Amino acid sequence: MSDHTRRLPIVSHGGEPVDRAARSGGDEARDAARDEDRQLEQSAAPLGDPGGTEHPDRREFFGIAGASLALAGLAGCGRGPLRDDIEPYVHEPEDVVPGRASSYATSVPAGAAETGVLVTTHMARPTKIEGNELHPASDGATDAVTQAILLSLYDPDRSATLFRDGGATTWRRVLADMRAALARHEADGTGLRLLTGAVPSPSIAETYDRFLGRFPGSMWHAHDPLAPTRARAGIEQAFGTIGDLHYRLDEARVVAAFDSDFLMEGAGAVRYARDFAQGRRRGAADMLRLYAAEPMPTVTGSVADHRLPLRSGDVGRTMLALAAELGVARSGPGDETEREASWVRALARDLEDSPGRSLVAVGERQPVSVHALAMAINDHLQNVGRTLIITEPVDESAGAGTLSELAADIEAGDVQTLLIAGTNPVATAPADLAIGDRIEAVDVSFHLGLYRDETARRCRYHVPEAHPLERWGDGRAFDGTLSLRQPVIRPIDGGRSPLDVVAALTPDAVDVAGEGPGADRERLRAYWRGHPAFAADFDATWRRTLHDGVVPASALPPMSVTLRDDALSGSRGELEGARQQGGDEGDLELAFALHPRVLDGRYANNEWLQELPTPITNLTWDNPAMVGPTTAERLGIRSGDEVRIRSGQAEVLAPAWVIPGHAEGAMTLHLGYGRELGRVAEGRGFSAEALRSSEALWRAAGQAQATGRTWTIASTQHHHQMEGRDLIREASAEAYERDAEIFARPIPDLSLYPDWEYPAEKWAMVIDLNSCIGCGACMVACQAENNIPVVGKEEVVNAREMHWIRVDTYYTGDDDDPEFRHQPVPCMHCERAPCELVCPVQATVHSTDGLNDMVYNRCVGTRYCSNNCPYKVRRFNFFDYARRDEAHLDPGRNPEVTVRTRGVMEKCTYCVQRISLARIEAKNEQRPIRDGEVVTACQQVCPADAIVFGDGNDPDARVTEVRQSPRNYGLLEELNTRPRTTYLAKLTNPGPERGSGR
Amino acid sequence: MARPDENEPPVIEPGHGDASVTDAIGSIPLSKAPKSWLIGFAIGFALLMLLIVSVIYLFSVGVGIWGIQVPVAWGFAIIAFVFWIGIGHAGTLISAILLLMYQPWRTSISRFTEAMTLFAIAAASLFPVLHLGRPWLFYWLIPYPSAIGAWPQFRSPLVWDVFAITTYATLSLVFWYIGLVPDLASMRDRAKRPLAKIAYGVMALGWRGSARHWHRYQVAYVILAALAAPLVVSVHSVVSFDFAVAIVPGWHSTIFPPYFVAGAIFSGFAMVLILVIPIRRIYKLKAFITDHHLDNSAKILLVTGLIVSYGYFSEAFYAWYSADEYHRYMMYNRAFGDYAPYFWALIAFNFLAPQVFWFRRYRRHVPTLFAVSLLVLLGMWYERFVIVVQSLHRDYMPSAWRFYDATFWDWTTLLGSFGLFFTLLFVFVRLLPMVSIAEMRELAHHEREGGHS
Repeated sequence: MSDHTRRLPIVSHGGEPVDRAARSGGDEARDAARDEDRQLEQSAAPLGDPGGTEHPDRREFFGIAGASLALAGLAGCGRGPLRDDIEPYVHEPEDVVPGRASSYATSVPAGAAETGVLVTTHMARPTKIEGNELHPASDGATDAVTQAILLSLYDPDRSATLFRDGGATTWRRVLADMRAALARHEADGTGLRLLTGAVPSPSIAETYDRFLGRFPGSMWHAHDPLAPTRARAGIEQAFGTIGDLHYRLDEARVVAAFDSDFLMEGAGAVRYARDFAQGRRRGAADMLRLYAAEPMPTVTGSVADHRLPLRSGDVGRTMLALAAELGVARSGPGDETEREASWVRALARDLEDSPGRSLVAVGERQPVSVHALAMAINDHLQNVGRTLIITEPVDESAGAGTLSELAADIEAGDVQTLLIAGTNPVATAPADLAIGDRIEAVDVSFHLGLYRDETARRCRYHVPEAHPLERWGDGRAFDGTLSLRQPVIRPIDGGRSPLDVVAALTPDAVDVAGEGPGADRERLRAYWRGHPAFAADFDATWRRTLHDGVVPASALPPMSVTLRDDALSGSRGELEGARQQGGDEGDLELAFALHPRVLDGRYANNEWLQELPTPITNLTWDNPAMVGPTTAERLGIRSGDEVRIRSGQAEVLAPAWVIPGHAEGAMTLHLGYGRELGRVAEGRGFSAEALRSSEALWRAAGQAQATGRTWTIASTQHHHQMEGRDLIREASAEAYERDAEIFARPIPDLSLYPDWEYPAEKWAMVIDLNSCIGCGACMVACQAENNIPVVGKEEVVNAREMHWIRVDTYYTGDDDDPEFRHQPVPCMHCERAPCELVCPVQATVHSTDGLNDMVYNRCVGTRYCSNNCPYKVRRFNFFDYARRDEAHLDPGRNPEVTVRTRGVMEKCTYCVQRISLARIEAKNEQRPIRDGEVVTACQQVCPADAIVFGDGNDPDARVTEVRQSPRNYGLLEELNTRPRTTYLAKLTNPGPERGSGR
Repeated sequence: MARPDENEPPVIEPGHGDASVTDAIGSIPLSKAPKSWLIGFAIGFALLMLLIVSVIYLFSVGVGIWGIQVPVAWGFAIIAFVFWIGIGHAGTLISAILLLMYQPWRTSISRFTEAMTLFAIAAASLFPVLHLGRPWLFYWLIPYPSAIGAWPQFRSPLVWDVFAITTYATLSLVFWYIGLVPDLASMRDRAKRPLAKIAYGVMALGWRGSARHWHRYQVAYVILAALAAPLVVSVHSVVSFDFAVAIVPGWHSTIFPPYFVAGAIFSGFAMVLILVIPIRRIYKLKAFITDHHLDNSAKILLVTGLIVSYGYFSEAFYAWYSADEYHRYMMYNRAFGDYAPYFWALIAFNFLAPQVFWFRRYRRHVPTLFAVSLLVLLGMWYERFVIVVQSLHRDYMPSAWRFYDATFWDWTTLLGSFGLFFTLLFVFVRLLPMVSIAEMRELAHHEREGGHS
C-alpha cells in the first residue's frame, strides 16, 4: 500500500457487540481475547477451491477474468486519503455478517460528563449513534450533538500529524523531548502543570493523579466552558460542601428556570427532556408547570407556560423578589415591574403549593450568589434531596486549579512545562487572560487534541488525540452513573488517548505500559479490577458491563446537606446591584451563551451541527448577535445588519438578528464561532471572546452600533407567524378535560379515486406537540440515518436545505413577549397524496403498506411533486449535494440507504430500510411485525419521546391507540390529503392565578 | 367574401400582377442580404451561443445554477416554456382558423407567422427538458414499451404536455411545409445557382403546378387547417392544466384553460406585430402587409386582452367568493406582497395599454402598435412570472415561505432562447419566401378580377 492511501482500520478491541434484536446479556458476550487484533487481511485470498484442480476450469477462468476487470475498475476509483480497498477475508470473523449491522455500547461526552450510547456499525464502520436505554442519561435517546459525534469521527480536518515547533515530527521525537522536559521536574514539579477540560473519567483522573504524583508540587488546572463551575460554587456557598447537582424532573410539578436551558444544556439535558415531557403528559391536575425567566428565548423558555423575558443581570433580583415572596429573604429589591411582580407572585404561590415537588433551576451563566440563593429557595421548599439531588462531583477535575490561576502563574514565571489535554483555552477563554501569549511563554508546551486548533498552534508540541469512538475509557454521567467506553473502530488518524500518552511519558507511573488500544484496554481493566462493582467475577462482569455499556446502580448517592446560616450573607448587594449594570439607555447588557449546536466551538467543524437550524430562530452556519424588536428599533438595526459591539476597550463586528421575546436592553452573543478548527469552521460567524473578561465571564456591559454593512445569514425559516392558519391546535389542559372535542374540525372526504387498501400494515406516525420541545435532535438523527447531505451556507440561503424532517417554530402573541410553538414536519405520507398525482414518471408512488415511496432511480427531477406538496417536505438535489467524490464521507454512510444523485427528489421515507429489516426478520420467523419493532430514527432519538410510529392496522399498536385520542389531528387536513402523519394537539398548563391569558 | 368598406385599407396594394408578386417576394432569398439582416442575425446568433454556453454549464452541474428552490421549484424555465408556447398560438390561429373562416387578410402574414410558431415551439420545447433535474432521462415522459415495463404516469399533466406539444410541433411543421411546396417550386425555377436549384428542387417534391397538384394541395391544406384549428384551443389548455390540476393556491383554478388560450393569442399577436412592423419596412413589403393587417391585429389584441383581463378579475373575485383562506391570502399577497410590482405591471400592460386600440387612429399608428405590443409581450411574461413564482413562494405552510430570486444563468437561458428564436427566424427570412407567393398571386388575381371566391 502506498503512503498516500490509508486503510480504514477495522474494529479490533475485544469489544462487546449488542444483540440488537434482544439485548440478552452476558451469554452473548464474545471472548474478548479472540477478538483482539482481528484485521482485514491485506493480501488477496486465492481464487478457487484450495484443494481443487491446479488449472482453473472454464467457469473459473471467466470468473477470474471478470473479477480482474472489476478490480481494475475499482483501482481507478482510489480517491483521497480514506481509500477503502475491497479485499476478501482470509479468516471470516465470527460475528461480522456482511450486510448486517452490529451495535456496540459505549459512551461519549455529553456536556462535562458522559452519556451512554449504542453505536451501529456496518462491517466495522460506525454509521449511527443511538441512545442506550440502560443508561440513565440517555434512556434510549440522545441529543443532536451526540448524533453528530459520528460525523466528527470521519472529519478529514481532524489532526493526523504530530507537530513540533510548527513542523511535522514523529512520536519518537516528541516522546524523547517530553521525557527530557519532564526529567527536569523529577525533584521539584512546581513548574509542571497539567491543563485539562472536564474529566468525568475516573481512570483518566487516577492516571493524571499518579502522573502528577511523580512530580511533587506539580498542579492540575481545569478549563471547560461546559463544566458547571458556578453551580458547584453556589452549592459550596449554600451548603459548605463541594458537589454537583442534578434534577429529578419526574418528581417535580412546578419548575422555575432562571436563565437556565436545562432541556438543552448540560450533561443531563436528554434525561430532563424525557422526564419533562412525561410530566407534561400527566392529567391537568398533576401536569408539570414550567416557569422560565431568561434573556434569549431558549428551548426551555419556549415550552414554558409562563415565560418572562428578563435580562440576565435582572435574574438575580427577580429571584430575590421570589425569595422575599416565599419568606426566604427578608425583603425583595422592590423595584420590579408589574409584569415581573405578577410573574413572581404566581410562581411563589405555585411553588408553595408543591413543597418537595417543585424546583428552582438556575443556569450556569448566573453568578454564584444567584445559585446560592436558588439553593436556599429549594431548601426552603424541601426540594433538596427530592427534585434536586446533590452528589459528589461528577467531574473529577472539580478540585483542580483554574485557568486564571494558571495564567497568573505563567505570568509570574512559575511554569516551565505545560501539558494540555482535551481543552482549547486559546479559543474559549476570555480575552483578558491572553492565554495564547502565555502558553507561548512557557518553555515546553504540549497539546493533545482532536484538532490542530488555536491552542495547538500556540503549543510547541501537538499530538493528535483519538476520537471518543476510537478509544477505551470510562466516564460518569450527570448523576454519576459509570459507563465504559469501548472503541468501535481503530484510530483512523492514529490518534492517542490520554491514558496512552501518560503511559508513554511516564512508563513507571502506570501499571500497564505499552501503546495502542490494546494496552489501553489492559490499563482500563487494571483500573477496574479494584472497583467494588467488579469484585465478584471480574471477567464476566467486565464483559457484561461492556455489553450493557453501564455499571449497574453506580449513580452517586445523594449527599445530605444542610443550608449554612450565612449562605446568603454578602450576596444581597451583588444581587441587587446587578440592575445598575447595563441599565443606562445607551448601554446594552451583553449576555454570552453557549451556542446550542456547536457549544463552545468544540463542534464547530461539524457540518451536521453547523447546518442544523438553531432552536426557535432556525439559523444555520452563523452566530448572529440576538436582540429584541424594541431594542433593535432603538439601535436602528434589522436582522442581518452588521453591528460594532463595544465593551470597554474591546470591540467586535457581528451580524445582528432580531428575535421577538428577547429581553429588551440586552443582546445575546453566542460563543463557539470565529474558530480555526478546520475547513468547515473557518470563517464562520464571529468570536465574542474578545468582549469577555474572566471577571465578568458571562455578562458584560457594552454598546452596539450599526456599521451600515450587512451579513447574509442563512435561516431555514423566514416566516414565524401562523397567519391565523390552523396549523398547531392547542388548548389548556383544563379546557381539554372539560371538552375533549375541542380540537375536532370537519374534514372533507371527496375523491375521484378509490381509497387505498392496506392488506398488511398501514404505517402511521403521530407527533405529540405537547411533548416536543423543539430541540432538533430528530433532524440530525434523520440526517445520519438517511445519508442526508449537507448543502452549505450558500445553499441554505438559496432555500435548498435537505433535512427530511424540519422543526418549525411559530411566534404567537405579542412581539415583545411572544409564546413559541414547535412543530416537527416530516413527510405526511398522505393517503391522497398530491405529489403522487402529478409525477409524470411514477417516481413517487403509494406502497401497499401506506408509504409514499420515492423511487430515486426513476425520478427525472421535474420538481412538480414539490410544488404540489402543501407541506413542502420534499427536498431536491439541485446539485450533487451528496458529494460522492469525497471519500471521507463514504464509510459513515448508512449502506441501507441510497445515496442520491443530483437532479433527484427525496423526502422522508418513514425509515423504510428499518421497516424492511423488520419485515425480513418477521418473515424469517414466520410472524407478523411486532408493535415497536420498527422504530424510525427521529422517534428513536427524540429526547421527549414525542414521536410514535407503528402499524395503524394493528388494533393493539400504540400508534393506533394514540391516533384515537381526541387530540389527534392532521395538518392541513381540510385539503383532503388524509395525512398519515398526524399530530397530537398541544396542551398548555397556565397557572391558576393567571389562567386567562398570560 | 365580405367586402371591405371604403375606409378599410386593402389587404394588398393595387396594381400587383402575378409576376410582380413573385418578383417582390421571391427575389428576397435569392438576392444579397441587406445589412440590417446581417446585424439582426449576428445578434440572434450571439444570443444563441449564450444559450449553448448556459446549457453546457447547466448540464455539467445541475439546475442549481438557477434561482429555483423549495418552495419555488419552478422558475424561469417554466415561465419561458409557457411564454414561448403562447407566442406560437398566433401563427396557428392565423393560418388555420382564419383560413377556415376565409379571411383573405391572413394570406400575407400566414407564412411568416407559421414560421414564428415553429420557432417559438422550438424555443419552448427546450425548457421542459432543460428544467429537468436529470435531463438525459427526458424520454421517460414518453410512453414507449420499455424493458422494465415502466410507463409514464398518465394522471400527470406533464405527460399530457408531452402529447400536446409534440402534436402541435408536428402538425405545425407539416402544415407550414405543405404550404411552402408551390413556392419552393417557384424558387427552384427562379434560382440561378446550382446548389440553390438542387436544394429548392428537392424540397419542392417535384411540384409542377398541374391542376391535379393544385387540387390535392388545396384539399390537404384545408384538412390540415381543420386538424390544426382545435390545437389553438387545446395546446394552451393542456399547458394550463400544469397549473390548474395542482393544489397550489393561485394555480388551482377552473378559469385557467380559456384564460391561458386567450393569453397565448394575445402575446402571439403582440409578437407578430413586433416582427412584422420592421420586416415590412426593411424588405419593402408594405404592399402585401398593409395597414389593414395592422388594424386587424390590433383588434385581436384588444379582444384577447379583454378576455385575459376578465381572467384576472375572475381570479380575484373567486378568491374572495370561495371564502378559502389560502386563496384569499394568495390574492391579497399578489396585489400587496413582495411581488406586487409585477402584478400591477401586468395589469397596466395587459389590461390598460391595449385600451388605446378602441381608437382606429392608434390601431394604424405604427409606433403605438409597436410600443403596445412590446408592453403586452412584457406584461404576459410578467403574468406567467406571477402565476409561477408568486403562487409558489407563499402557499400553505408559512414556515416554508421563501423569496425567489433569478440568477445570472436564469437570465442567460432566457435571453438565449430569444437567440434561438431569432436565429431560426433570420435563417428562414434569408432562405425561404416569407410571404406565400402562390396565395398572394391568388389574392392579387381576385383583386384584379373583382373578387369571386
